[in-house]
Amino acid sequence: MFDFLKKKLNEVVKKVTDKVAPKEKEKKAKPKKEKETFTSKIVKAFTEINVSSEKVDEIFQEIEIDLLEADVAVEAIDKIKEDLKKEIVGKSIKKSELEKQIRNVFKKTLNEMLDVPKIDLMKKLEKRPTLFVFLGFNGSGKTTTMAKIAYWLQSKKLSCVFAAGDSFRAASIEQLEEHGKKLNVNVIKHQYGADPAAVIFDAVKYAQAKKIDVVLADTAGRTHTNKNLMDQLEKIVRVNKPDLKILVIDSMTGNDIINQCRMFDQAVGVDALVLTKTDVSNKGGSILSAAYVLKKPILFLGTGQSYKDLHEYDPREIAEKLI
Amino acid sequence: MLDFGKKITELISKALGRSTIDRETVESIIKGLQRILLQSDVDVKLVYELSNKIRDRCFKEKVQEGLTLREHVTKVIYEELVNLLGKEKAGLKAKNRIMLLGLYGVGKTTTCGKLVKYFQKHGSKPALIACDYHRPAATEQLRQIAEKLNVPVHIDENKNPFNAVENGLKRFAKNDVIIIDTAGRDALDKELSDELKKIGKIAKPDEVLLVIPADLGRTAGQQAAEFNKLVGITGVIVTKMDGTAKGGAALSSCYATGANVKFIGVGEKLEQLEEYDPVRFVSRILGMGDLEALMEKVKEAELDEDDAKRIMSGKFTLKDFYDQIEGIQKMGPLSGIVEMIPGFSSALPEDLVNIQEAKLKKFKYIIDSMTEKERNEPEIVNSSRIKRIAKGAGVSERDVRELLKQYDLTKKVIKKVGGTASIKRGQLAKLAKKFGLKF
Repeated sequence: MFDFLKKKLNEVVKKVTDKVAPKEKEKKAKPKKEKETFTSKIVKAFTEINVSSEKVDEIFQEIEIDLLEADVAVEAIDKIKEDLKKEIVGKSIKKSELEKQIRNVFKKTLNEMLDVPKIDLMKKLEKRPTLFVFLGFNGSGKTTTMAKIAYWLQSKKLSCVFAAGDSFRAASIEQLEEHGKKLNVNVIKHQYGADPAAVIFDAVKYAQAKKIDVVLADTAGRTHTNKNLMDQLEKIVRVNKPDLKILVIDSMTGNDIINQCRMFDQAVGVDALVLTKTDVSNKGGSILSAAYVLKKPILFLGTGQSYKDLHEYDPREIAEKLI
Repeated sequence: MLDFGKKITELISKALGRSTIDRETVESIIKGLQRILLQSDVDVKLVYELSNKIRDRCFKEKVQEGLTLREHVTKVIYEELVNLLGKEKAGLKAKNRIMLLGLYGVGKTTTCGKLVKYFQKHGSKPALIACDYHRPAATEQLRQIAEKLNVPVHIDENKNPFNAVENGLKRFAKNDVIIIDTAGRDALDKELSDELKKIGKIAKPDEVLLVIPADLGRTAGQQAAEFNKLVGITGVIVTKMDGTAKGGAALSSCYATGANVKFIGVGEKLEQLEEYDPVRFVSRILGMGDLEALMEKVKEAELDEDDAKRIMSGKFTLKDFYDQIEGIQKMGPLSGIVEMIPGFSSALPEDLVNIQEAKLKKFKYIIDSMTEKERNEPEIVNSSRIKRIAKGAGVSERDVRELLKQYDLTKKVIKKVGGTASIKRGQLAKLAKKFGLKF
């Protein structure tokens, strides 16, 4: 999935290197012996370069497009640019080292960007019952992700129950029930149009009574600009005090991913992310953007359509793949 | 987030007031445009192709009469985008068979319901066929929607999408619109491809609509092309336009399929489906709110070209003068208009520029009191006619003479400017237009 972004990043490194030190100028003034100060000065002039901040800006005007093409959001691009400036502007760098240096800056930046706080899930799950609420834009894959997490919990010998908190979309409850049937997980539900906060409250009570470990609560997909629905979410949180509010994000999302993350976070506070459909999105930039902008723990990446297709997020693994 | 729409407006504003568009200005506008489009998730290749076209047209094409350069460039950009997205306000006629396609979570099933509602409003009797037996409870979702809208839905008990289509079509032979919901996947895999192809063969749909979400990233073009290969796409529906996403993916999808946007989904309720409107959609992608006003102006300018041409050819009558006065009264002082036109502010006499509001009113009464012949041929107005006109208009003879003098002055200026080779015809027409319509 990261092939595309990787390709682009490599192109970017090449471009920056070439622009900073154009090849034709590289007539190597053979570094004989560094006796005379004069000669060594020339050698230095030919083999070392000083990059100005303007030069970096100029270069970035072009390579920005390479990164945008990989669905890396503008804010994230700015970060890469600033980091590069910090590391190479005003410093004398040997030409032969330039590419390596730029590559190192990139690696460091990407590591920083991908490095999000961690959550010790198993520790979170020690509470009885633990309540996870799933939020997100319409169609991002909340219900499917919940089912996958139920499967994952079961593999850790933890029992769970679903709360049908999406009482709006037609057949959302039935969809959850079908997953419940397959996974042998009970679904706590009310009628359509019911208050989702109450549904989730009941599910928690049920879990307490039946000694179930985890409550996984679905919510209706919503547009982050819809005030009423965001208020409803706020109520769900206020009434039920979930242990984790998990934002489910479709990794095929373009630049809007930043708005979506931010606005959900502002409304209710997001504790962790799950990025879905990462098996499809070959661009990969969305993960970079989401990780950098929100700086929230990323729990899992959804990597396919069956229950087992859920991978734990490992920033190092991704960074390695990228550069 | 930077407001790129604002940025491009600024960039384009830079071109304002220049008599010719220089390469540098156009390049900077195009750079800005590229960034906006990339920000809106438009496919990169397409962005370059578009910018080349726009660059070409900006240099080669004559500025439309009545438009400033800034407006001209905006118009070119708009037209190029609309060429892809669709020029006309869209919607759908009651066609027999409509098939909806799209990946997981794009909003196919909800859109089915919205389409039913749309056709009901237009007096049709739609019916639904459920072909998504893959996603849990998808058929149940369609059933609930159908129940809400009180339309029949055909669901195959054995979960066979092909039988569903075949029997559904038979069952709904009397319905004028049949909408077929299909299954999605995370990606278009072999299984889904085969299924869709086969459904397409059985259903022989009149319209195949691809559903894409407004926030879709740069995979859009590729996705659309793949779907198009399976079953030719005839239109695109962009869902979730009520969020903050700009819907640039629609451009890529239209480009990849050659189809136009038909509808946009603007909310979760079943009536929240809008017919595609080119001006509004492009405004949104570019983040420019004033596009609608501009396009209206382009239309107006086209209508008024005849007038402008007549005036340019020297046939400037008192009637035209009257129109100008009306225009000026509506829009503000003449001096502001004159400043807009390069080389013109010095050409107009000071007192013509500073005609007072009250005087303009008087001028109108005077022209109102003239005969048709006098208005068309002001030369014939002699002193006895002046006396009569003054009486009729309730003004002094001096006022009538002043009007005639102002008219003469204006006519001379127009002639003079028209004869100067350095000033293009378009600009003169612009002047004439501005006298009458703008400001």
